[in-house]
Amino acid sequence: MTKKEKILLKASAAFAALFAVAPAANAMHIMEGYLPAGYCVAWGLVCLPFLIAGFISLRNKVKENRRSMTLIAMSGAFIFVISSLKIPSATGSCSHMTGTGLGAILFGPSAVGILGIIVLIFQAVLLAHGGLTTLGANTFSMAVAGPLVSFGIYKLCGKLKANRRVSVFLAAFMGDLFTYCVTSLQLALAYPSESGGVMASAVKFLGVFAPTQLPLAVIEGILTVVLVIGLESYAGPELNNTGFLSGREKEAR
Amino acid sequence: MSVIDRLCYQSRLRYVNAEEKFVYAILTLIFCVASRSFAVALIAFAANGILTVGKGGISLSRYCRLLLIPVSFLVVGTAAILVDVSEIPMDAFAFPVGDRYLTGSRATTMEALRVCAAAFSSATCLYFLALNTTMTDILDVLRKLRLPSLFIELMMLIYRFIFLLFETAGAIRISQESRLGDRNYRTKARSFGEMGSALFIRALSRSNSLYDAMESRGYDGKIRVLSQQQPPRKKKILMIAGFELILAVLTIREIWVRTGGHG
Repeated sequence: MTKKEKILLKASAAFAALFAVAPAANAMHIMEGYLPAGYCVAWGLVCLPFLIAGFISLRNKVKENRRSMTLIAMSGAFIFVISSLKIPSATGSCSHMTGTGLGAILFGPSAVGILGIIVLIFQAVLLAHGGLTTLGANTFSMAVAGPLVSFGIYKLCGKLKANRRVSVFLAAFMGDLFTYCVTSLQLALAYPSESGGVMASAVKFLGVFAPTQLPLAVIEGILTVVLVIGLESYAGPELNNTGFLSGREKEAR
Repeated sequence: MSVIDRLCYQSRLRYVNAEEKFVYAILTLIFCVASRSFAVALIAFAANGILTVGKGGISLSRYCRLLLIPVSFLVVGTAAILVDVSEIPMDAFAFPVGDRYLTGSRATTMEALRVCAAAFSSATCLYFLALNTTMTDILDVLRKLRLPSLFIELMMLIYRFIFLLFETAGAIRISQESRLGDRNYRTKARSFGEMGSALFIRALSRSNSLYDAMESRGYDGKIRVLSQQQPPRKKKILMIAGFELILAVLTIREIWVRTGGHG
Protein backbone atom coordinates (compact mmCIF):
# COMPACT_ATOMS: atom_id res chain seq x y z
CA MET A 1 0.00 0.00 0.00
CA THR A 2 2.65 2.50 0.97
CA LYS A 3 4.54 1.79 -2.22
CA LYS A 4 1.44 2.45 -4.25
CA GLU A 5 0.83 5.61 -2.30
CA LYS A 6 4.33 6.75 -3.08
CA ILE A 7 3.71 6.14 -6.78
CA LEU A 8 0.49 8.08 -6.57
CA LEU A 9 2.26 10.95 -4.86
CA LYS A 10 4.94 11.01 -7.53
CA ALA A 11 2.39 10.85 -10.31
CA SER A 12 0.40 13.73 -8.87
CA ALA A 13 3.57 15.76 -8.40
CA ALA A 14 4.51 15.17 -12.03
CA PHE A 15 1.01 16.12 -13.06
CA ALA A 16 1.15 19.33 -11.05
CA ALA A 17 4.53 20.15 -12.59
CA LEU A 18 3.08 19.67 -16.05
CA PHE A 19 0.35 22.11 -15.14
CA ALA A 20 2.91 24.67 -14.08
CA VAL A 21 4.82 24.26 -17.34
CA ALA A 22 1.80 24.14 -19.60
CA PRO A 23 1.51 27.67 -20.91
CA ALA A 24 -2.00 28.96 -21.09
CA ALA A 25 -5.42 28.35 -19.68
CA ASN A 26 -7.44 29.22 -22.74
CA ALA A 27 -11.12 29.30 -23.08
CA MET A 28 -12.18 25.76 -23.71
CA HIS A 29 -11.41 25.25 -27.35
CA ILE A 30 -11.32 21.55 -28.18
CA MET A 31 -7.92 20.92 -29.73
CA GLU A 32 -7.40 20.09 -33.39
CA GLY A 33 -7.83 16.37 -34.06
CA TYR A 34 -9.10 15.59 -30.58
CA LEU A 35 -12.55 14.38 -31.60
CA PRO A 36 -13.22 11.24 -33.68
CA ALA A 37 -14.18 11.91 -37.29
CA GLY A 38 -17.85 11.02 -36.84
CA TYR A 39 -18.30 13.51 -34.03
CA CYS A 40 -16.61 16.27 -36.02
CA VAL A 41 -19.12 15.85 -38.84
CA ALA A 42 -22.08 15.41 -36.49
CA TRP A 43 -21.41 18.62 -34.52
CA GLY A 44 -20.91 20.47 -37.78
CA LEU A 45 -24.33 19.31 -38.93
CA VAL A 46 -25.89 20.31 -35.62
CA CYS A 47 -24.54 23.83 -36.07
CA LEU A 48 -25.70 24.14 -39.64
CA PRO A 49 -29.31 25.30 -39.08
CA PHE A 50 -28.17 27.95 -36.60
CA LEU A 51 -25.52 29.16 -39.01
CA ILE A 52 -27.94 29.31 -41.94
CA ALA A 53 -30.45 31.24 -39.86
CA GLY A 54 -27.69 33.62 -38.79
CA PHE A 55 -26.47 33.99 -42.34
CA ILE A 56 -29.92 34.85 -43.66
CA SER A 57 -30.49 37.41 -40.93
CA LEU A 58 -27.12 39.00 -41.63
CA ARG A 59 -27.77 39.06 -45.36
CA ASN A 60 -31.08 40.79 -44.83
CA LYS A 61 -29.44 43.32 -42.54
CA VAL A 62 -26.83 44.07 -45.20
CA LYS A 63 -29.46 44.30 -47.94
CA GLU A 64 -31.52 46.68 -45.84
CA ASN A 65 -28.60 48.95 -45.10
CA ARG A 66 -25.28 48.39 -46.76
CA ARG A 67 -23.55 50.39 -44.08
CA SER A 68 -24.08 47.56 -41.66
CA MET A 69 -21.54 45.45 -43.57
CA THR A 70 -18.54 47.25 -42.12
CA LEU A 71 -20.29 47.43 -38.78
CA ILE A 72 -20.84 43.68 -38.62
CA ALA A 73 -17.27 43.06 -39.66
CA MET A 74 -16.01 45.48 -37.03
CA SER A 75 -18.10 43.65 -34.44
CA GLY A 76 -16.55 40.34 -35.44
CA ALA A 77 -13.07 41.80 -35.22
CA PHE A 78 -13.98 43.24 -31.84
CA ILE A 79 -15.01 39.82 -30.50
CA PHE A 80 -11.76 38.34 -31.82
CA VAL A 81 -9.57 41.03 -30.30
CA ILE A 82 -11.35 41.00 -26.93
CA SER A 83 -11.09 37.21 -26.76
CA SER A 84 -7.41 37.12 -27.66
CA LEU A 85 -6.18 39.81 -25.28
CA LYS A 86 -4.76 38.59 -22.00
CA ILE A 87 -7.13 39.34 -19.16
CA PRO A 88 -6.03 40.04 -15.63
CA SER A 89 -6.50 36.75 -13.84
CA ALA A 90 -6.29 36.07 -10.15
CA THR A 91 -3.91 33.12 -10.37
CA GLY A 92 -1.37 34.80 -12.63
CA SER A 93 -1.77 32.26 -15.42
CA CYS A 94 -2.57 33.76 -18.77
CA SER A 95 -6.19 33.42 -19.76
CA HIS A 96 -8.61 34.85 -22.27
CA MET A 97 -12.24 35.88 -22.37
CA THR A 98 -14.61 33.89 -24.53
CA GLY A 99 -16.64 36.93 -25.46
CA THR A 100 -19.74 34.80 -25.93
CA GLY A 101 -21.85 36.63 -23.37
CA LEU A 102 -20.72 40.03 -24.53
CA GLY A 103 -21.40 39.17 -28.16
CA ALA A 104 -24.84 37.85 -27.39
CA ILE A 105 -25.78 40.93 -25.36
CA LEU A 106 -24.47 43.36 -27.98
CA PHE A 107 -25.37 41.69 -31.25
CA GLY A 108 -28.06 39.10 -30.47
CA PRO A 109 -27.67 35.34 -30.79
CA SER A 110 -28.32 35.02 -34.53
CA ALA A 111 -25.53 37.35 -35.62
CA VAL A 112 -23.13 35.86 -33.10
CA GLY A 113 -23.36 32.42 -34.71
CA ILE A 114 -21.81 33.59 -37.98
CA LEU A 115 -19.38 36.00 -36.33
CA GLY A 116 -18.47 33.23 -33.91
CA ILE A 117 -17.55 30.70 -36.57
CA ILE A 118 -15.40 33.28 -38.38
CA VAL A 119 -13.70 34.22 -35.12
CA LEU A 120 -13.10 30.54 -34.37
CA ILE A 121 -11.53 29.98 -37.82
CA PHE A 122 -9.22 32.93 -37.21
CA GLN A 123 -8.41 31.71 -33.72
CA ALA A 124 -7.50 28.32 -35.14
CA VAL A 125 -5.36 29.64 -37.97
CA LEU A 126 -3.82 32.71 -36.34
CA LEU A 127 -3.57 31.67 -32.69
CA ALA A 128 -3.73 27.85 -32.79
CA HIS A 129 -6.66 27.84 -30.36
CA GLY A 130 -9.08 25.15 -31.42
CA GLY A 131 -8.89 23.61 -34.85
CA LEU A 132 -10.47 22.99 -38.22
CA THR A 133 -11.80 19.49 -37.58
CA THR A 134 -13.19 20.51 -34.20
CA LEU A 135 -14.66 23.69 -35.67
CA GLY A 136 -18.19 22.26 -35.60
CA ALA A 137 -18.05 21.23 -31.95
CA ASN A 138 -16.41 24.48 -30.88
CA THR A 139 -18.90 26.53 -32.88
CA PHE A 140 -21.77 24.75 -31.21
CA SER A 141 -20.48 25.30 -27.68
CA MET A 142 -19.12 28.83 -28.08
CA ALA A 143 -21.10 30.46 -30.85
CA VAL A 144 -24.50 28.76 -30.52
CA ALA A 145 -25.17 27.27 -27.09
CA GLY A 146 -23.34 29.81 -24.91
CA PRO A 147 -24.73 32.91 -26.60
CA LEU A 148 -28.27 31.47 -26.60
CA VAL A 149 -28.14 30.96 -22.84
CA SER A 150 -26.56 34.39 -22.29
CA PHE A 151 -29.19 36.05 -24.41
CA GLY A 152 -32.01 34.13 -22.72
CA ILE A 153 -30.83 35.07 -19.26
CA TYR A 154 -30.28 38.67 -20.28
CA LYS A 155 -33.83 38.90 -21.64
CA LEU A 156 -35.26 37.10 -18.62
CA CYS A 157 -33.51 39.48 -16.23
CA GLY A 158 -34.89 42.34 -18.30
CA LYS A 159 -38.41 41.00 -17.87
CA LEU A 160 -37.87 40.52 -14.14
CA LYS A 161 -36.52 44.09 -13.91
CA ALA A 162 -33.35 42.89 -12.24
CA ASN A 163 -30.44 45.20 -11.57
CA ARG A 164 -28.54 45.99 -14.79
CA ARG A 165 -25.19 44.93 -13.44
CA VAL A 166 -26.58 41.74 -12.02
CA SER A 167 -28.28 40.80 -15.25
CA VAL A 168 -25.19 41.48 -17.40
CA PHE A 169 -23.01 39.57 -14.94
CA LEU A 170 -25.38 36.61 -14.86
CA ALA A 171 -25.67 36.54 -18.64
CA ALA A 172 -21.91 36.48 -19.21
CA PHE A 173 -21.23 34.17 -16.27
CA MET A 174 -23.89 31.63 -17.16
CA GLY A 175 -23.02 31.77 -20.85
CA ASP A 176 -19.44 30.91 -19.99
CA LEU A 177 -20.44 28.14 -17.61
CA PHE A 178 -22.82 26.67 -20.14
CA THR A 179 -20.14 26.71 -22.82
CA TYR A 180 -17.87 24.84 -20.44
CA CYS A 181 -20.59 22.28 -19.63
CA VAL A 182 -21.42 21.75 -23.30
CA THR A 183 -17.75 21.24 -24.17
CA SER A 184 -17.38 18.73 -21.35
CA LEU A 185 -20.43 16.90 -22.58
CA GLN A 186 -19.10 16.88 -26.15
CA LEU A 187 -15.86 15.33 -24.93
CA ALA A 188 -17.75 12.87 -22.77
CA LEU A 189 -19.94 11.75 -25.67
CA ALA A 190 -16.83 11.09 -27.73
CA TYR A 191 -14.99 9.39 -24.87
CA PRO A 192 -17.45 7.64 -22.57
CA SER A 193 -15.99 6.20 -19.40
CA GLU A 194 -15.56 2.46 -19.30
CA SER A 195 -17.14 1.96 -15.91
CA GLY A 196 -19.84 4.63 -15.87
CA GLY A 197 -20.65 5.58 -19.46
CA VAL A 198 -21.20 9.09 -20.76
CA MET A 199 -22.41 10.68 -17.53
CA ALA A 200 -19.44 9.53 -15.46
CA SER A 201 -17.15 10.73 -18.20
CA ALA A 202 -18.90 14.11 -18.29
CA VAL A 203 -18.35 14.46 -14.55
CA LYS A 204 -14.66 13.70 -15.08
CA PHE A 205 -14.28 16.31 -17.81
CA LEU A 206 -16.23 18.87 -15.80
CA GLY A 207 -13.95 18.13 -12.87
CA VAL A 208 -10.62 18.47 -14.62
CA PHE A 209 -11.54 21.71 -16.37
CA ALA A 210 -13.24 23.28 -13.33
CA PRO A 211 -10.08 24.80 -11.77
CA THR A 212 -9.42 26.92 -14.84
CA GLN A 213 -12.94 27.48 -16.09
CA LEU A 214 -14.83 28.48 -12.93
CA PRO A 215 -12.61 31.46 -12.03
CA LEU A 216 -12.57 32.40 -15.70
CA ALA A 217 -16.37 32.55 -15.79
CA VAL A 218 -16.45 34.85 -12.75
CA ILE A 219 -13.76 37.11 -14.22
CA GLU A 220 -15.51 37.18 -17.56
CA GLY A 221 -18.74 38.18 -15.84
CA ILE A 222 -17.07 41.05 -14.00
CA LEU A 223 -15.22 42.31 -17.07
CA THR A 224 -18.37 42.17 -19.17
CA VAL A 225 -20.21 44.25 -16.58
CA VAL A 226 -17.50 46.92 -16.60
CA LEU A 227 -17.47 46.87 -20.38
CA VAL A 228 -21.21 47.12 -20.88
CA ILE A 229 -21.56 49.84 -18.25
CA GLY A 230 -18.79 51.77 -20.00
CA LEU A 231 -20.52 51.40 -23.34
CA GLU A 232 -23.84 52.55 -21.97
CA SER A 233 -22.44 55.64 -20.34
CA TYR A 234 -20.27 56.72 -23.27
CA ALA A 235 -21.87 55.35 -26.39
CA GLY A 236 -25.63 55.32 -25.85
CA PRO A 237 -26.59 57.15 -29.06
CA GLU A 238 -24.15 55.20 -31.23
CA LEU A 239 -25.41 51.90 -29.92
CA ASN A 240 -29.01 52.88 -30.53
CA ASN A 241 -28.21 53.96 -34.08
CA THR A 242 -26.67 50.61 -34.90
CA GLY A 243 -29.86 48.84 -33.94
CA PHE A 244 -27.72 46.09 -32.55
CA LEU A 245 -28.41 46.44 -28.86
CA SER A 246 -31.45 44.39 -28.11
CA GLY A 247 -34.84 45.88 -27.33
CA ARG A 248 -34.43 46.62 -23.68
CA GLU A 249 -32.02 49.50 -24.02
CA LYS A 250 -34.24 51.19 -26.53
CA GLU A 251 -37.19 50.96 -24.17
CA ALA A 252 -35.13 52.25 -21.30
CA ARG A 253 -34.05 55.31 -23.18
CA MET B 1 -0.41 40.15 -31.95
CA SER B 2 -0.39 36.91 -33.82
CA VAL B 3 3.05 35.34 -34.17
CA ILE B 4 1.73 32.86 -36.69
CA ASP B 5 0.50 35.59 -39.00
CA ARG B 6 3.88 37.30 -38.94
CA LEU B 7 5.76 34.06 -39.52
CA CYS B 8 3.70 32.99 -42.53
CA TYR B 9 4.84 36.05 -44.45
CA GLN B 10 8.45 34.98 -43.95
CA SER B 11 7.92 31.39 -44.98
CA ARG B 12 9.80 30.22 -48.03
CA LEU B 13 6.74 28.23 -49.06
CA ARG B 14 4.61 31.36 -49.05
CA TYR B 15 4.52 31.68 -52.84
CA VAL B 16 3.78 28.02 -53.50
CA ASN B 17 0.33 27.58 -55.03
CA ALA B 18 -2.15 27.99 -52.18
CA GLU B 19 -4.57 25.33 -53.38
CA GLU B 20 -1.85 22.69 -53.29
CA LYS B 21 -0.97 23.60 -49.71
CA PHE B 22 -4.61 23.75 -48.68
CA VAL B 23 -5.50 20.40 -50.22
CA TYR B 24 -2.40 18.75 -48.74
CA ALA B 25 -3.08 20.11 -45.24
CA ILE B 26 -6.78 19.29 -45.20
CA LEU B 27 -6.41 15.77 -46.64
CA THR B 28 -3.62 14.90 -44.23
CA LEU B 29 -5.70 16.30 -41.39
CA ILE B 30 -8.66 14.17 -42.39
CA PHE B 31 -6.55 11.03 -42.57
CA CYS B 32 -4.98 11.73 -39.17
CA VAL B 33 -8.37 12.13 -37.54
CA ALA B 34 -10.08 9.29 -39.40
CA SER B 35 -7.36 6.69 -38.96
CA ARG B 36 -6.21 7.36 -35.40
CA SER B 37 -3.24 5.16 -36.21
CA PHE B 38 0.27 5.70 -34.93
CA ALA B 39 1.78 5.11 -38.38
CA VAL B 40 -0.28 7.84 -40.05
CA ALA B 41 0.32 10.18 -37.13
CA LEU B 42 4.06 9.63 -37.26
CA ILE B 43 4.26 10.11 -41.04
CA ALA B 44 2.14 13.26 -40.94
CA PHE B 45 4.08 14.64 -37.97
CA ALA B 46 7.39 14.06 -39.71
CA ALA B 47 6.22 15.37 -43.09
CA ASN B 48 4.76 18.54 -41.62
CA GLY B 49 7.84 19.12 -39.51
CA ILE B 50 10.15 18.72 -42.50
CA LEU B 51 7.98 20.91 -44.70
CA THR B 52 7.46 23.69 -42.18
CA VAL B 53 10.89 23.81 -40.58
CA GLY B 54 13.10 22.40 -43.33
CA LYS B 55 11.47 23.80 -46.47
CA GLY B 56 9.54 26.71 -45.01
CA GLY B 57 12.44 27.97 -42.93
CA ILE B 58 10.50 28.55 -39.69
CA SER B 59 13.00 28.25 -36.85
CA LEU B 60 12.83 24.98 -34.94
CA SER B 61 12.54 26.59 -31.51
CA ARG B 62 9.65 28.75 -32.70
CA TYR B 63 7.93 25.70 -34.12
CA CYS B 64 8.35 23.75 -30.89
CA ARG B 65 7.06 26.64 -28.83
CA LEU B 66 4.00 26.89 -31.07
CA LEU B 67 3.41 23.18 -30.67
CA LEU B 68 3.24 23.71 -26.92
CA ILE B 69 0.18 25.98 -27.20
CA PRO B 70 -2.42 23.19 -27.15
CA VAL B 71 -0.49 21.06 -24.65
CA SER B 72 -2.42 22.28 -21.61
CA PHE B 73 -5.69 21.15 -23.16
CA LEU B 74 -4.12 17.87 -24.23
CA VAL B 75 -2.80 17.10 -20.75
CA VAL B 76 -5.99 17.93 -18.92
CA GLY B 77 -8.31 16.31 -21.45
CA THR B 78 -6.29 13.14 -21.73
CA ALA B 79 -6.07 12.81 -17.96
CA ALA B 80 -9.86 12.74 -17.91
CA ILE B 81 -9.97 10.02 -20.55
CA LEU B 82 -7.24 7.99 -18.92
CA VAL B 83 -8.31 7.94 -15.29
CA ASP B 84 -11.55 6.43 -14.14
CA VAL B 85 -13.06 6.37 -10.67
CA SER B 86 -14.43 2.96 -9.87
CA GLU B 87 -14.90 0.46 -7.05
CA ILE B 88 -13.21 -2.29 -9.03
CA PRO B 89 -9.57 -1.86 -10.07
CA MET B 90 -8.87 -2.32 -13.78
CA ASP B 91 -5.99 -3.99 -15.55
CA ALA B 92 -3.60 -1.16 -16.46
CA PHE B 93 -3.15 0.69 -13.19
CA ALA B 94 -5.10 1.34 -9.98
CA PHE B 95 -4.46 3.69 -7.07
CA PRO B 96 -6.65 3.29 -4.00
CA VAL B 97 -8.30 6.50 -2.84
CA GLY B 98 -10.54 5.93 0.16
CA ASP B 99 -12.72 2.94 -0.69
CA ARG B 100 -12.49 3.54 -4.43
CA TYR B 101 -9.81 3.35 -7.06
CA LEU B 102 -8.34 5.82 -9.49
CA THR B 103 -7.97 3.30 -12.21
CA GLY B 104 -7.72 2.69 -15.91
CA SER B 105 -7.82 -0.21 -18.30
CA ARG B 106 -5.33 -1.13 -21.00
CA ALA B 107 -7.91 -0.33 -23.69
CA THR B 108 -8.47 3.22 -22.45
CA THR B 109 -4.75 3.78 -22.04
CA MET B 110 -4.26 2.70 -25.62
CA GLU B 111 -7.10 4.93 -26.75
CA ALA B 112 -5.71 7.90 -24.85
CA LEU B 113 -2.33 7.42 -26.52
CA ARG B 114 -4.00 7.18 -29.91
CA VAL B 115 -5.96 10.38 -29.26
CA CYS B 116 -2.78 12.20 -28.24
CA ALA B 117 -0.94 11.04 -31.34
CA ALA B 118 -3.81 11.94 -33.64
CA ALA B 119 -4.34 15.32 -31.99
CA PHE B 120 -0.66 16.22 -32.10
CA SER B 121 -0.19 15.24 -35.72
CA SER B 122 -3.37 17.02 -36.79
CA ALA B 123 -2.16 20.11 -34.96
CA THR B 124 0.97 20.00 -37.12
CA CYS B 125 -1.25 19.90 -40.23
CA LEU B 126 -2.98 23.04 -39.03
CA TYR B 127 0.39 24.64 -38.34
CA PHE B 128 1.63 23.71 -41.80
CA LEU B 129 -1.30 25.54 -43.34
CA ALA B 130 -1.15 28.49 -40.97
CA LEU B 131 2.62 28.98 -41.04
CA ASN B 132 3.05 28.75 -44.80
CA THR B 133 -0.09 30.30 -46.24
CA THR B 134 -1.18 33.88 -45.78
CA MET B 135 -4.75 34.50 -44.74
CA THR B 136 -5.54 36.26 -48.02
CA ASP B 137 -4.45 33.15 -49.94
CA ILE B 138 -6.61 30.93 -47.72
CA LEU B 139 -9.55 33.24 -48.40
CA ASP B 140 -8.90 32.89 -52.12
CA VAL B 141 -9.08 29.13 -51.82
CA LEU B 142 -12.29 29.38 -49.80
CA ARG B 143 -13.74 31.59 -52.52
CA LYS B 144 -12.93 28.94 -55.09
CA LEU B 145 -14.72 26.41 -52.88
CA ARG B 146 -17.85 28.49 -53.55
CA LEU B 147 -18.49 29.61 -50.02
CA PRO B 148 -21.07 32.43 -50.05
CA SER B 149 -19.45 35.70 -51.08
CA LEU B 150 -20.95 37.58 -48.14
CA PHE B 151 -19.19 35.16 -45.80
CA ILE B 152 -15.85 35.53 -47.56
CA GLU B 153 -16.13 39.30 -47.65
CA LEU B 154 -17.00 39.37 -43.99
CA MET B 155 -13.92 37.28 -43.27
CA MET B 156 -11.77 39.57 -45.36
CA LEU B 157 -13.00 42.70 -43.61
CA ILE B 158 -12.71 41.10 -40.19
CA TYR B 159 -9.15 40.03 -40.94
CA ARG B 160 -8.27 43.59 -41.84
CA PHE B 161 -10.06 45.09 -38.82
CA ILE B 162 -8.39 42.73 -36.37
CA PHE B 163 -5.10 44.50 -36.90
CA LEU B 164 -6.67 47.95 -36.68
CA LEU B 165 -8.29 47.06 -33.38
CA PHE B 166 -5.17 45.38 -32.01
CA GLU B 167 -3.26 48.57 -32.67
CA THR B 168 -5.89 50.68 -30.97
CA ALA B 169 -6.09 48.29 -28.03
CA GLY B 170 -2.32 48.31 -27.68
CA ALA B 171 -2.24 52.10 -27.58
CA ILE B 172 -4.98 52.22 -24.95
CA ARG B 173 -3.15 49.61 -22.86
CA ILE B 174 0.08 51.58 -22.97
CA SER B 175 -1.59 54.78 -21.85
CA GLN B 176 -3.43 52.91 -19.09
CA GLU B 177 -0.27 51.29 -17.84
CA SER B 178 1.63 54.55 -17.86
CA ARG B 179 -1.10 56.00 -15.64
CA LEU B 180 -0.90 53.16 -13.11
CA GLY B 181 -3.93 51.44 -14.59
CA ASP B 182 -2.72 48.05 -13.42
CA ARG B 183 -1.76 49.03 -9.89
CA ASN B 184 -3.79 46.26 -8.27
CA TYR B 185 -6.31 43.67 -9.30
CA ARG B 186 -9.27 45.99 -8.97
CA THR B 187 -7.83 48.66 -11.22
CA LYS B 188 -6.59 46.00 -13.62
CA ALA B 189 -10.09 44.62 -14.09
CA ARG B 190 -11.50 48.13 -14.44
CA SER B 191 -8.84 49.09 -16.95
CA PHE B 192 -9.58 46.05 -19.06
CA GLY B 193 -13.29 46.70 -19.11
CA GLU B 194 -12.84 50.37 -19.89
CA MET B 195 -10.36 49.53 -22.61
CA GLY B 196 -12.95 47.18 -24.08
CA SER B 197 -15.69 49.78 -24.13
CA ALA B 198 -13.39 52.45 -25.54
CA LEU B 199 -12.27 49.98 -28.16
CA PHE B 200 -15.81 49.24 -29.17
CA ILE B 201 -16.71 52.90 -29.48
CA ARG B 202 -13.61 53.51 -31.59
CA ALA B 203 -14.50 50.48 -33.69
CA LEU B 204 -17.97 51.86 -34.36
CA SER B 205 -16.74 55.24 -35.53
CA ARG B 206 -13.95 53.57 -37.47
CA SER B 207 -16.41 51.33 -39.30
CA ASN B 208 -18.57 54.33 -40.19
CA SER B 209 -15.72 56.33 -41.64
CA LEU B 210 -14.42 53.25 -43.40
CA TYR B 211 -17.77 52.76 -45.06
CA ASP B 212 -17.77 56.40 -46.18
CA ALA B 213 -14.30 55.96 -47.61
CA MET B 214 -15.29 52.78 -49.41
CA GLU B 215 -18.47 54.25 -50.81
CA SER B 216 -16.70 57.34 -52.08
CA ARG B 217 -14.44 54.97 -54.02
CA GLY B 218 -17.34 53.18 -55.65
CA TYR B 219 -18.18 50.36 -53.22
CA ASP B 220 -21.26 48.59 -54.52
CA GLY B 221 -21.51 45.69 -52.11
CA LYS B 222 -18.62 43.74 -53.57
CA ILE B 223 -14.96 43.97 -52.75
CA ARG B 224 -12.79 43.03 -55.68
CA VAL B 225 -9.19 42.16 -55.02
CA LEU B 226 -6.45 41.10 -57.37
CA SER B 227 -5.14 37.74 -56.40
CA GLN B 228 -1.65 36.76 -57.33
CA GLN B 229 -1.70 33.08 -58.10
CA GLN B 230 1.15 30.77 -58.79
CA PRO B 231 0.18 28.17 -61.36
CA PRO B 232 -0.06 24.67 -59.86
CA ARG B 233 2.90 22.41 -60.70
CA LYS B 234 2.26 18.96 -62.05
CA LYS B 235 5.19 17.46 -60.15
CA LYS B 236 3.97 18.79 -56.82
CA ILE B 237 0.43 17.64 -57.45
CA LEU B 238 1.72 14.17 -58.20
CA MET B 239 3.81 14.18 -55.04
CA ILE B 240 0.86 15.27 -52.92
CA ALA B 241 -1.37 12.66 -54.56
CA GLY B 242 1.18 9.95 -53.91
CA PHE B 243 1.62 10.98 -50.29
CA GLU B 244 -2.12 11.11 -49.64
CA LEU B 245 -2.55 7.76 -51.34
CA ILE B 246 -0.14 6.17 -48.87
CA LEU B 247 -2.02 7.76 -45.98
CA ALA B 248 -5.33 6.62 -47.46
CA VAL B 249 -4.13 3.04 -47.73
CA LEU B 250 -2.86 3.11 -44.14
CA THR B 251 -6.11 4.62 -42.95
CA ILE B 252 -8.26 2.05 -44.69
CA ARG B 253 -6.08 -0.75 -43.36
CA GLU B 254 -6.30 0.63 -39.84
CA ILE B 255 -10.09 0.97 -39.94
CA TRP B 256 -10.43 -2.49 -41.47
CA VAL B 257 -8.23 -4.04 -38.79
CA ARG B 258 -10.07 -2.29 -35.99
CA THR B 259 -13.57 -3.16 -37.16
CA GLY B 260 -12.42 -6.68 -37.99
CA GLY B 261 -10.82 -6.97 -34.55
CA HIS B 262 -14.04 -6.05 -32.80
CA GLY B 263 -16.28 -8.14 -35.01
